[in-house]
Amino acid sequence: MNVVDHDPPIHQEGKKVRVSLKFPIGHYRVPTYIRGKEVRIEKNLGRYINPEEEAFGKNAGSKLWYYLVSIPQKQLWKDYNGADEDLLEIEVFEPWLESI
Amino acid sequence: MSSENLVKRLPNDIAGTVCSDKINIVERSLYPWEKRCHALLDVLDYHKIVNTEEKRRGTESIGTEMAAKLSYYEKWIVSASNVLLQKGLISPNDIANKTKEVSDRYGVTL
Amino acid sequence: MSNNHDHSHEEHAEITHDEKPGYYEILEISIREILIEKQLIKAEEIRKQIEVLDSRSPVLGSKLVAKAWLDDAFRERLLADGNSAAEEMGITIYDDTAFTVLEDTETLHHMIVCTLCSCYPRAVLGLPPDWYKSKEYRIRAVHEPRAVLKEFGTVIPNSVQIQINDSTANQRYMVLPLRPKGSENFTIDQLEAIVTRDAMIGVALISL
Repeated sequence: MNVVDHDPPIHQEGKKVRVSLKFPIGHYRVPTYIRGKEVRIEKNLGRYINPEEEAFGKNAGSKLWYYLVSIPQKQLWKDYNGADEDLLEIEVFEPWLESI
Repeated sequence: MSSENLVKRLPNDIAGTVCSDKINIVERSLYPWEKRCHALLDVLDYHKIVNTEEKRRGTESIGTEMAAKLSYYEKWIVSASNVLLQKGLISPNDIANKTKEVSDRYGVTL
Repeated sequence: MSNNHDHSHEEHAEITHDEKPGYYEILEISIREILIEKQLIKAEEIRKQIEVLDSRSPVLGSKLVAKAWLDDAFRERLLADGNSAAEEMGITIYDDTAFTVLEDTETLHHMIVCTLCSCYPRAVLGLPPDWYKSKEYRIRAVHEPRAVLKEFGTVIPNSVQIQINDSTANQRYMVLPLRPKGSENFTIDQLEAIVTRDAMIGVALISL
């Protein structure tokens, strides 16, 4: 029997997306350094309560997809000093990742 | 510097900012009160009385001066106090009365 | 959560019966007692959780590493599902996090940081060192990992890729370091003994 996921993930592994350049107030888990950057979806990490809402007391209810994303360090920092292949990986929730 | 950056950028959101200081490669074991504080926040998270994300928000919302001046666990206990107050689980007077009782117990003046 | 304050450590010496608690200890005692009086928590829960905290240390991580070095099937399971593999070894991940092991190779070196706070695989490695929580590490590790590694005495040539993972959500990372040359005939006890906490964070290599 095929189970229909009424809330499928938007992004697939290997896809290039952009981390939104936006400014919440109160709480967030997306550091400024990664905002606006183009990243690659490495892995779908499943669903979890949105930390921005969890921080204000939400402990149950609908969960959001979140992803492990990567970016080459030389693309992230203008002055990066290291190997061309050096990589950064970070976990980001779906509302912060825009298709490009 | 525009004050709006203090609103938009949380005091813990510092990665990639200018820093020429070396890593101070030190560590020490926790003081007993710090370990009790850690255990307290773990228990509060387990019961979802103060979840871990609320605790994090609490350590961020104290602003840059307190974030810089309070140590790691000092921020934790102030955060827990504020979140408990915000949720109406304890009152400012509960804290005032109990801290007076505890400080009297130890002969400390607040 | 930087650990940056002016006063000397002498003011923070361990509290004994003869010493007075400072303001924050008084606050900790007060909050705990208020919550117990309101029956929101029990004193026994705090005591039990302190025991849990005391039971977790890098010794546990070193057992996972040594077993992964010796047992390919276990290594695969550890990399696929860290929580289940830890559970196999009697290590319960008690905080609802996803324990994720990252395997170093000859051409890939991993490093872990939590730039926003201090996320760390506490259930396996115990409590993190102060430097891991410091603003200097959190500011610089993602921006200049190789320079930071040098300060730890660790030099990674540019022929080896460095991947740094910033813990921002539910994953809690531990590095599976490279098994050092010369350890081929080591017993499991000998292997456990050479695994260091700093190697499991990724700021050090294991050498004999």
